[in-house]
Amino acid sequence: MIRFENVEVSFGEKIAIPDLNLEIEQGEFFTLLGPSGCGKTTALRTLAGFIEPSRGEIYIDGKVATRLPSEKRSVGMVFQNYALFPSMSVRENIAFGLRVRKTRKAETALLVDEIAAQVELTSEQLAKNVSELSGGQQQRVAIARALVLKPRILLLDEPLSNLDAKLRVQLREQLKNLQRELGITTVYVTHDQEEALTMSDRIAVFNHGVVEQVGTPEEIYNRSGTEFVCTFVGAMNRLSGDVVHQLRQRGGTGLAAAKTSYLRLEKVSLHAPTGATAAIRLDGVVAGRSYHGSHSTYTIDSHGSSIRALVPEGGGCPLEPGSAAQLYIDPSSVLQY
Amino acid sequence: MRNSSWASMFRSPFVVIVSLVTLWFVATFLVFPNANLLISTFLPQGQFSFRAIDKLVSSERAMNSLWHSFALAATLAVTVNVVGIFIVLVTDYFKIRGARMLWLGYATTLIYGGIVLAAGYNFIYGRYGFVTNAVRNWFPEIDPNWFSGYFAVVVVMTLATTTNHMLFLGSSLAKIDYQTIEAARNMGASTMSILWRIVLPALRPMIFAVTVLTFLTGLGALTAPLVLGGTDFQTIAPMILTFSKSTGSRDLAALLAVILGLATIVLLAMMNRVEKSGVYFSVAKVATPLQKQRIPNRFANAAVHVAAYVLFVVYATPVLLIVLFSFLQSSAILTGSITWGDFTLDNYATVFGTPAVLRPFVVSVVYSALASAIVVGGMLFVSRVLQKHRNPVTTMLEYLLHIPWILPTILIALALVMTFDRPNAMVGGQVLTGTTSLLLIAYVIVKVPFTLRLLKAAFASVPESLEDAARILGAGSMFTLRKVLVPLILPTAAAITALNFNSLLDDYDAAVFLYHPLYQPLGVAIKASTEGENNVDSMSITFVYTVLLMIIMGFTMYLVYGRGGSSTRRRKRRAGTVTVK
Repeated sequence: MIRFENVEVSFGEKIAIPDLNLEIEQGEFFTLLGPSGCGKTTALRTLAGFIEPSRGEIYIDGKVATRLPSEKRSVGMVFQNYALFPSMSVRENIAFGLRVRKTRKAETALLVDEIAAQVELTSEQLAKNVSELSGGQQQRVAIARALVLKPRILLLDEPLSNLDAKLRVQLREQLKNLQRELGITTVYVTHDQEEALTMSDRIAVFNHGVVEQVGTPEEIYNRSGTEFVCTFVGAMNRLSGDVVHQLRQRGGTGLAAAKTSYLRLEKVSLHAPTGATAAIRLDGVVAGRSYHGSHSTYTIDSHGSSIRALVPEGGGCPLEPGSAAQLYIDPSSVLQY
Repeated sequence: MRNSSWASMFRSPFVVIVSLVTLWFVATFLVFPNANLLISTFLPQGQFSFRAIDKLVSSERAMNSLWHSFALAATLAVTVNVVGIFIVLVTDYFKIRGARMLWLGYATTLIYGGIVLAAGYNFIYGRYGFVTNAVRNWFPEIDPNWFSGYFAVVVVMTLATTTNHMLFLGSSLAKIDYQTIEAARNMGASTMSILWRIVLPALRPMIFAVTVLTFLTGLGALTAPLVLGGTDFQTIAPMILTFSKSTGSRDLAALLAVILGLATIVLLAMMNRVEKSGVYFSVAKVATPLQKQRIPNRFANAAVHVAAYVLFVVYATPVLLIVLFSFLQSSAILTGSITWGDFTLDNYATVFGTPAVLRPFVVSVVYSALASAIVVGGMLFVSRVLQKHRNPVTTMLEYLLHIPWILPTILIALALVMTFDRPNAMVGGQVLTGTTSLLLIAYVIVKVPFTLRLLKAAFASVPESLEDAARILGAGSMFTLRKVLVPLILPTAAAITALNFNSLLDDYDAAVFLYHPLYQPLGVAIKASTEGENNVDSMSITFVYTVLLMIIMGFTMYLVYGRGGSSTRRRKRRAGTVTVK
């Protein structure tokens, strides 16, 4: 459906994306994930046709689209700040693209009403000026405006970043449901790993303009391909050489001593696992505890490492700082780079 | 702003047309006339010559005018700062009773200035002025020309030029972080110590900027020296006007204009350098709005109050008298004694009932309206192209369009007169000097930099994503401009049009060089009314013109600043901050 082939994007002397190769399937919810300035928005804007690559080609539906004007690519875009036209009403905003295409008035009204219903905008809201709407409602208008032209691809540039946490979670689900319902190929840009993991079919993790790994959310999280992906996605414990040495001595023979080792917080247990297990016990001292409601995070000093562990609420008596603790670690959970 | 190669820029027919028209305008009206002025000064017969300089050095009047101009500029740099800073402090910094009323009194110069103000003072304090006549009824030995020469010019220009302080210094003062004042007070600093050590140093860059502007105003002063300077105190600008009237001394006029232009360029360059060195209003991430300071010393407080109200009377009296005199019979003004029977509506009836009398007013309104509409309409396209395409061609074009900002209006006017007094191929072989169009062209030229700068800023303030959104929805650049961008910058464009209209309405500097004898603009008519002894009737007419101008200008200022200002006040009040204006 979409293919970036050896795409290089530069701004004067500065190369933002050196060599991008990426394939996105039809109907897929594909996320470009990475920290600020990593090139993910540049990649999206290049796909939208706002930036012309200095080298390489972009294919849409098997056809070269590299130098095709953005309006001819059949892409709809939702901008980070929504980019709603402040001098127009909600209805006029949504109908803008139809008006450009000289769609008949009656048909325009019908299409606007249809899409408004899909994104849950009421007729009263359609009559309002965009400035009278809340952030969440404005975001729906931006989505409706992008979708009313029935594009083959929907591009979303951090569309939830301006919303409060609760609304973000709510809209995340609605957006995913809408995408599934319409079956539209969607490319989503975010720096929020949780957003990427919960919404995407596949994720490309960007770092300094380079794609570090492409995979499903599970692959990205559990089988991080590079050290950057491993540390960027989710919280991690970095294990000291002494801890690795202890694990190797007590049965973790598969672990390499010379590599950098990481362990996810939820892979550390403070209670002896039941039944047959490869978990290795390490002794330590509780250095601190932070309470998060549904769980607590304990920091245990052990063999030169401060190892954090997640304990669900109700998962045993709270340990006090300074008290002795036992850590149980399965060496196969350790990621090494 | 986006970078774009100029090859890609010229793909659009819209950009090509705008660029070609702009290049023609710049070459024909900005570069060529001023280059022609330099050539006629230093290369009169095709060879470099010091003849104009020799003439200047040997002309006592010309050399005196140079000395007078610099003396006036230097004096104003001091007097305007003293009065201007005092005004800003009493209206915006100290807790003074009736500060809002005081501000309105001081702000009267926002709605009347230039030739109108000079003529107003002349009609009140001048040789035939009401106050002079009234005082001479009691003390006949008083010199009727007491309000004339250097003293009168300095007084009038000092009062007229404090508007820069009110607008710019007042705004800078509001940006000072109040927490710095609280911190100083917390460490035991007194009110005066805070003013000298915290507030004024923070305002230093802006004080420097307004000083430069004041100096430039003094240097290029035309109307005040012309109306009130008398024979003994003439400055560069009136001399340029005098010398330009004779073909034999035009090179001298051109040289004086060049000197004025050079001085302006040097001073503006200095100002730019100081601006670049940085301003230091606040380094706080969350600045606290300034709160008014009480003057703790009772005597100092009383003295400041008295001084503030005396200054208010000085500012407000001419305005009140002008309004009053516009309803008086001419004879009453002349004799200096007023009775109830002298009040009349005849002056207004004459202005509105006599086409020949109303004509200068209509001419000025038409010129100002046309020039404002043309310059805003044209710059709308130019600023769009300059804002969207950034490359060496557009950068050069932008610099060239700022030429009128660094050249005094009289230099521009003189250059136009001297360039288009013969058929010129760049304007289709036409002679423009002496036609009605040259003044319109001059008005458009002088308003280009201000209009361009503000419109470009307005375009730049529109988020780029709006254009991207329109583009991805299939809108072309013209459709996007028409339907998305123009509606957004329309309020700014309307405000610029109104401000341009206001400032051109009573223009004298360009009009006196370029007006068509059959279409005398208001500035020229008002100046004419101040000449000679038999000006009694025209004096009354001028009072009516002035009142009408003040109404129009006051209304425009309210439309541009007033309504926005009141909503800002409401917002600030809601936020619990202290404001005065």
